Amino acid sequence: MSGYVEAGYSVVLVALGGYSISVVVRERAARRRLPAKLPGRSADRTGEDGGGSR
Amino acid sequence: MTAVAEALSQPEGSISALSETSGRAALALRVTGTLAVVGVVATAWLGLFVTPNDVNMGDLVRLLYIHPPMAWVAFVAYGIASLSSLLYLWPRTRHPRFDRMAGASAETGVVFTGLTLVTGSIWGRPTWGVWWTWDPLLTTTALLFVLYLGYLALRRVPGDSEAVAKRAAVASLVAFVDVPIVYFSVSWWRSLHQAPTVDLTGRHLYVHGSMAWTLLLGFVSFTLVYAWLVGHRYRLSTLRQREADECLTAAVAERQQEGQS
Repeated sequence: MSGYVEAGYSVVLVALGGYSISVVVRERAARRRLPAKLPGRSADRTGEDGGGSR
Repeated sequence: MTAVAEALSQPEGSISALSETSGRAALALRVTGTLAVVGVVATAWLGLFVTPNDVNMGDLVRLLYIHPPMAWVAFVAYGIASLSSLLYLWPRTRHPRFDRMAGASAETGVVFTGLTLVTGSIWGRPTWGVWWTWDPLLTTTALLFVLYLGYLALRRVPGDSEAVAKRAAVASLVAFVDVPIVYFSVSWWRSLHQAPTVDLTGRHLYVHGSMAWTLLLGFVSFTLVYAWLVGHRYRLSTLRQREADECLTAAVAERQQEGQS
């Protein structure tokens, strides 16, 4: 198999894997920083909508 | 797309409903992620070891199973970012969740556009003899990448959250104008790049047999990867916004206490 093909597949794997890990790690860090303040929900419940724009 | 739809459909205000819906969204995300991993592994296995070499391209045809899907996902990502921006700008549907979805989708789109450029360059070196050439398709794709990088930078400019969101929504719609230009550039101008392998306008596929199935699997799998990534990125934005809101509320309460004492 040509080295170009291997390089192409490797780049995709590394980039998507790296980005996925970065998103999940940042999400977990944000979840840890946010204490469970509302009744009836735990800190690991995510995805709720609040206000704001970021 | 189920994960994205679940994330967007979450109601405001009802705490019990929030917990229930976010549980469903988390499950949808997990299922999407699992299917995406299985699909990508299957695409790589079929693309690298099962499908035959091409008569003209030889071994390099194997890059076909990842390069067009990257471009497709980037287009889908920018399409969803633009639709969300439009919904944000429209006064009757304006809601911060659309702004967050636009940001999440555009960021993921930038990753896939970068990969489109890189995999295309890796294919171009042995085929054309150069890593890069100022071909209309390559140039407009690079422009798309830069435009959405600019969009992401614009989102980080400090200011009133609503003003920032409105500005970003307009920028997203302006940047999206380049998407059809990228797709039709090979037809509109003399291009070194071959015509699209999948003709979206004529609904025609220019590969057959195992090559066609592998390519289609690539499209589906990377679209699932996109859905999973956007779902998580959207949740990250929501958590960050909530954190910022709670910090602000705590600061206001602190000031009020200081005033009273």
